[in-house]
Amino acid sequence: MKVQTKRTALAAACAASALLASGEALAVNWLKMQGTEPPGAAARARVWGFIQPEYQQTKGTKLRAGGWAGQRAIFNQVRPDLKSDSGFNIIRARLGVRGTGFPLDSKVNYFFLMEAGNNGITRQGGGSVKITDASVTLNHIKGLRIRIGQFKTPGADEGLRAIHVFDYINFTNATNQLLLERFFDGDGSQDAPGQPVNRPNGPVSAFRDVGIQLFDWFTTGSWEHTYAVMVGNGNGITRGDNDDNRELYLYWASELLFPGASPFPSGAHLAPPSWSADHHGPRGARYQGLKLFAWYQDGKRTLTKENPGEYDRTRWGFGFTYRKGKWRGGAEYIRAKGMIFSGTDGGALPGAANNAGTAVADFNVVTDGKADGWYVDVGYLVHPTVELDLRYDVLNRNTQSASLERQFETWTLGMQYFFNKKSRLILNYEFRDAEAPNLPGTHPANRILSGMDDRLSGQLLIIF
Amino acid sequence: MLRRRLLALAAAAAAGLAWFQPAPAAEEKPFADVKVVLQISDPQPMKQTLVLNVANNLLRHYGPDKVDIEIVAFGPGLRLLFADNINRGRIKGLADNGVRFAACNNTMRKMTKKLGREPVLVPQATRVSAGVARIIELVQKGYILVKP
Repeated sequence: MKVQTKRTALAAACAASALLASGEALAVNWLKMQGTEPPGAAARARVWGFIQPEYQQTKGTKLRAGGWAGQRAIFNQVRPDLKSDSGFNIIRARLGVRGTGFPLDSKVNYFFLMEAGNNGITRQGGGSVKITDASVTLNHIKGLRIRIGQFKTPGADEGLRAIHVFDYINFTNATNQLLLERFFDGDGSQDAPGQPVNRPNGPVSAFRDVGIQLFDWFTTGSWEHTYAVMVGNGNGITRGDNDDNRELYLYWASELLFPGASPFPSGAHLAPPSWSADHHGPRGARYQGLKLFAWYQDGKRTLTKENPGEYDRTRWGFGFTYRKGKWRGGAEYIRAKGMIFSGTDGGALPGAANNAGTAVADFNVVTDGKADGWYVDVGYLVHPTVELDLRYDVLNRNTQSASLERQFETWTLGMQYFFNKKSRLILNYEFRDAEAPNLPGTHPANRILSGMDDRLSGQLLIIF
Repeated sequence: MLRRRLLALAAAAAAGLAWFQPAPAAEEKPFADVKVVLQISDPQPMKQTLVLNVANNLLRHYGPDKVDIEIVAFGPGLRLLFADNINRGRIKGLADNGVRFAACNNTMRKMTKKLGREPVLVPQATRVSAGVARIIELVQKGYILVKP
């Protein structure tokens, strides 16, 4: 009995020591996971991808006032076609390959990802398949890793996180309107019939840019600190620059790593096998920790048509993410100055003539606008296969002008059902509200916004 | 002159012998109930995790003093023993519990040629002249060969 006890104790000690000594601590460090491969354990070429079929629906309420009254409201149409108030869509279908071309040398890594879904990346600029990521990372200098190419920029967590571990279907208003950049040739101020409609001139930014990033991470005790400095074109993806200006990105994150495996069934899919397939549970994209972060982005945008010129565009923000046990959550605050995306004239579909036939709706950008927004998000795993989610988000758009200011407020109820570690169903119901806070309730702007419907959406996600 | 050359040759031979000597017998566990040699020769990173998991599970099952484990790495599997390998912490943890790690010197030579420099190995690795020969030797001694 005594021998048995001793043996058990020894085995336990041995197991504990092996567990404690298991490699590097891996947190929700997107820069590490997206930009680097595990030393000595990277594949020459690891093929992976995911598919996201979805269904979205609103009530399809028409515009209640304004020059386009009675016509379709853009905010009640489903993405990305904006032609219907409900429908199925393959919003994302991505195929990628990553690794280290020469496995004996872990210091040079690459990441390549293509998008074949129907969304803001593929719909604009022609072609049905676009490259979203193509980058090379050089890990030769301690404390100074270098990533060059097209990739996600260091910034707000909602944009930086891997989309296939995103807990909702639609982005928050602040992220969608302030950070998911649409690129235009004009500001949309000329609405006369016969004028070209101001539409995006190519893919949305997809939170990416083409440039060079210097970054690394350091561990002190239970904390992991990550920094990044990036210089990019500031002109989105799948194209070169359109001016001589460069975009500057700064990023810092400090994460307190919690020991032990996360009970969340899904995660770590973005990471290469050795980043994630540890012997004591999933790690990586859903690793337990408390992360604090702050970021800053500054550049200029050049318009060549309506109101041509160079305009400043600045974004900054901070926030945190948390995951421990069955709970997860996070919050972010985002502030924006310049190039504020402001929807379409009268809330109509771009290209739609008003009822009087005197104007055509197009997209508008307020070049000297200001905005801010924030969100709080919480999730709880009620069952090993079911997570319930709740998110509240706010966007204050064009706060520099009493007449232009718009406030968007959305409550999102969510549920995720995990079929297995690589497949899940996401259901969301969004209670959406918007108003022009400085205008009377009878003002056409408020009457239009009162017609903003709630939105129901369901999405299936399969990672391979 | 000839004497000096002979001396140098002898020294080199002695160093070579010492270099290629298998893991010292003193490190083996003569009273272990079970003796296992684990082979890793595959390039897939998952195999690295798997072989370490198997070693860990054997230690947990039998107890560190009742099982004798040697992991022999050769071919593409030798990357497991690279000094910067992400699993180096686990390797140290297992070595602290008596697991031995053998690195194939034939593979080292080929990798050195391809890399242009000799790969640096974890300090827990012991070089053996040939990984397969080491496995045969251990099997002849009664070790069970497992290739996860």
